[in-house]
Amino acid sequence: MRPSRPRTYSEDEFIRDIERQLADPRLAENELRPALKGLLEICATQREQLERVIRISDGFQSMALTEQRSLAEECERHLRRLEKLTRISDRYQDSLRDLKMALEEAALQDPLTGLGNRRQLTEQMSAEIDRATRKGTSLNLALLDIDRFKTVNDTHGHEVGDQLLCLIADTIRDNLREYDTCGRWGGEEFVVLLPDTDREQAATVCERVRHGIETIEPLPGMEEDRPITASIGITAVQPGEAWSLALKRADDLLLKAKQSGRNQLLFADADAGNTS
Amino acid sequence: MTANCSACVPSSDMATAAQAEGVEMQTLQREKSQSTPEVHADPQAGRLAMAGDSYPENSYEFFHEIVTWVETYLRDTDQPLHLELRLAYLNTSSVRAMLDIFDLLQAAHEEGQGVSVDWLYHPRNERVADLAEEFREDCTFPFEIKPDQPE
Repeated sequence: MRPSRPRTYSEDEFIRDIERQLADPRLAENELRPALKGLLEICATQREQLERVIRISDGFQSMALTEQRSLAEECERHLRRLEKLTRISDRYQDSLRDLKMALEEAALQDPLTGLGNRRQLTEQMSAEIDRATRKGTSLNLALLDIDRFKTVNDTHGHEVGDQLLCLIADTIRDNLREYDTCGRWGGEEFVVLLPDTDREQAATVCERVRHGIETIEPLPGMEEDRPITASIGITAVQPGEAWSLALKRADDLLLKAKQSGRNQLLFADADAGNTS
Repeated sequence: MTANCSACVPSSDMATAAQAEGVEMQTLQREKSQSTPEVHADPQAGRLAMAGDSYPENSYEFFHEIVTWVETYLRDTDQPLHLELRLAYLNTSSVRAMLDIFDLLQAAHEEGQGVSVDWLYHPRNERVADLAEEFREDCTFPFEIKPDQPE
């Protein structure tokens, strides 16, 4: 424990006391007086100097503090600005990405029916043929054409024709299996890809599609017309074959189906001779 | 010094007079390119117009003269400056340059100079309006975002 000291003079009280004693005429002859007077002067000078030093160093300190604050503010400002820049830039990128997706969709989709278009079909045909070849599975390709579609357009106008095409597209899609794909090849022609499917299964699926189209509810004003029907040519794709060859085969079969009465499927193996 | 002898007027006085009338400032005209917007800066009208997409390879080069033009205009005249922007797509460094320009406008506005911005967007592309709002966030000068009316 530190020994407690009796309360001492404050510095100012002490100095005032000495000044009083120096001024006291009774102590004028005291021999310590000149020494005390000199000491008091030294003390005053030193105090003054000390105060100056403190003032100057306070000045420096507050300057450093101000500078530090303004640097911190500057840093904060830059940070906020960077965040803003990043945020805006990210949003520009988002809108570009959305645009890209919309363009991709537009490039691959038939705007009328929402099915894949010719471009998407050629990509899908190549991909499915590659896959079937790699895995050694069977792949069937069907080409479907609406019978006497031109008559619909000529009699009821293109708007009704378009409406009917949408109905047909829906009917095809609804009658396929989950992993089958279809698209609009052009006009009133549709391509169907049936992966992992043998001849019998392909026939079943295509027959379901043909029947589905045949039984489409007539559109208003078309009740008296003959029902809408489709002819379909189906071929088994050979491993490693170009899609154009398979498609050509399906097209030939389709033509035969049309020539022999329409509203039917015609089937072929890769060797064109074996038609059923 | 005789008043009718313009050659006798000290050159520094002439410069000051010219600046006050805005004659010193150059008109800045840049045609639209594949990656840069059309730019038209008219010191007489106190108007800077930019229209198009901006994703230049060297955005510093492209924007430097525009930022400098704005800076010089705001420094050398006390006339108002109006920006008319029809900017659709901006890459990151173009966004940065636009933030720089808006900072200059904000500072001038705080000094009491009249500045204003109209950001016009195609009615079919409302996302541009959202982005313009992000730009406007810290600006206290008049900054309007409105659909572009076909002329």
